[in-house]
Amino acid sequence: MNEKQADGLEHRVPVLLAEAFQVPRAEITPGLAFGDLPQWDSMGHMELMMILEEQFGIEISTETIAELVSVSSIIQYLKEHDHGDS
Amino acid sequence: MATADIILTPTVSIPEHLVGEVQSKLAYVDEAIVSAAVAETGDQITLHLSQPEAAERQAELSEKVQRVVTTMVRGAFKPKVQVLEDHLDRRVPNRADPMPELLANGDISQEANGIYSLGPLLTRLINYFESQFVDLADSFKALPYRFPTLIPARYLERVNYFRAFPHSLTFATHLREDLDAIDHFAQHAVCDEHGLNTPPESFAKIQALLSPAVCYHLYFALADKPLPNGQLAATAVGNCFRYEAINLNSLERLWNFTMREVIFVGSKDYVLENRETARQRMQTIFEKIGLAYRVESANDPFFIGEFRKQAAFQSAFQLKFEIRASLPFKQSTLAVGSYNYHQDFFGRNLNISLPDGSPAHTGCVAFGLERIAFAFLAQFGLDPTGWPASVRGALNA
Repeated sequence: MNEKQADGLEHRVPVLLAEAFQVPRAEITPGLAFGDLPQWDSMGHMELMMILEEQFGIEISTETIAELVSVSSIIQYLKEHDHGDS
Repeated sequence: MATADIILTPTVSIPEHLVGEVQSKLAYVDEAIVSAAVAETGDQITLHLSQPEAAERQAELSEKVQRVVTTMVRGAFKPKVQVLEDHLDRRVPNRADPMPELLANGDISQEANGIYSLGPLLTRLINYFESQFVDLADSFKALPYRFPTLIPARYLERVNYFRAFPHSLTFATHLREDLDAIDHFAQHAVCDEHGLNTPPESFAKIQALLSPAVCYHLYFALADKPLPNGQLAATAVGNCFRYEAINLNSLERLWNFTMREVIFVGSKDYVLENRETARQRMQTIFEKIGLAYRVESANDPFFIGEFRKQAAFQSAFQLKFEIRASLPFKQSTLAVGSYNYHQDFFGRNLNISLPDGSPAHTGCVAFGLERIAFAFLAQFGLDPTGWPASVRGALNA
């Protein structure tokens, strides 16, 4: 993954979360985590996982679902799995 | 009576891990369905109907079944089954189904589907298991509570129960405060094989339901205030009600059953540590009894709309582990208890706060008393001389 793709994730992931949880983009900070928004509850989390699968063409394992619990962990996961240019 | 089968090919193949889940939900598709079976291969569904149906009606049934399948299967996450303990290879002396003998002996009597009265044998056995679970509760210095059988509708609404488990609800109602309606009922109420013939408009609006769980009552008692001392261990036993339609079967699956729960409320670490300690202490108790069982990850029986996401969430975060006892007569297992962690779901939704202002975490250890007694009899038979000495001695005392 090149630098431009990684930068793209820093922008794209917060936009996806803002749309998924229907909050202003500015509320999606890197430190935002599961439970910090009323919408990011169990159902919201699973909706988000399905959106990530669809948007990045990936299959998220059940184990990984429990690890992607913050904006930064989602970005890191996508970087490590080379999904920045999907 | 004439019968008819409909054989369907699902529009999406049902993966192996969802065959049982889909089959259990088919019970709620239509009142015409007497039984439903999903092939192990997941590519065929057989519906057994109470009577032959016209093509149009068959198409309607087929559409409803396909809706269940696609909603539950499409985009489903595959859960990873985690086994914490496996003692299914313990040798047990009985292989016969205890139900025929229990019925023949008068040890149980069936009042209706999923409703049984229990005689002295089962009652004493349940009392024995209860004493073990109360000992477990005492080891945590759990405070004793008593909860009502009814639960207000607004309580269940507040914790999203209506969306998650609408299929299993049991409603409580009464006649409207209306002299004419009460008089009419008194004069004309008649039961037939389908139930009471009372017109629905005679009944008042539903304010309460029969409670589906024990621990909910504690969470509501703690709602909208700080948790005293920041943590709490409690215990209670109560009647629980979960309607399971045609799935109601023997003592394995009751509409009206009894649960003993040990409940933990506090920080995440407090709840998770106590849940694990409870599992380890129960391991010792089950070993003493000689029960053949396994503890494995599981999910609650969410209805189809929420099943896919909620079940995957429970699996991913390891929120639920079931104690599954062996039923040798059917080479299968039965969930007789569970170790549950709800994260801060109840703390957040019911505003139960810890001293630092954060929402409390909750968890519970729950035992189905009729089920564990049934599983015990399935493994050890009805003759107490074949039972482990610890159980026999307690019953003779």
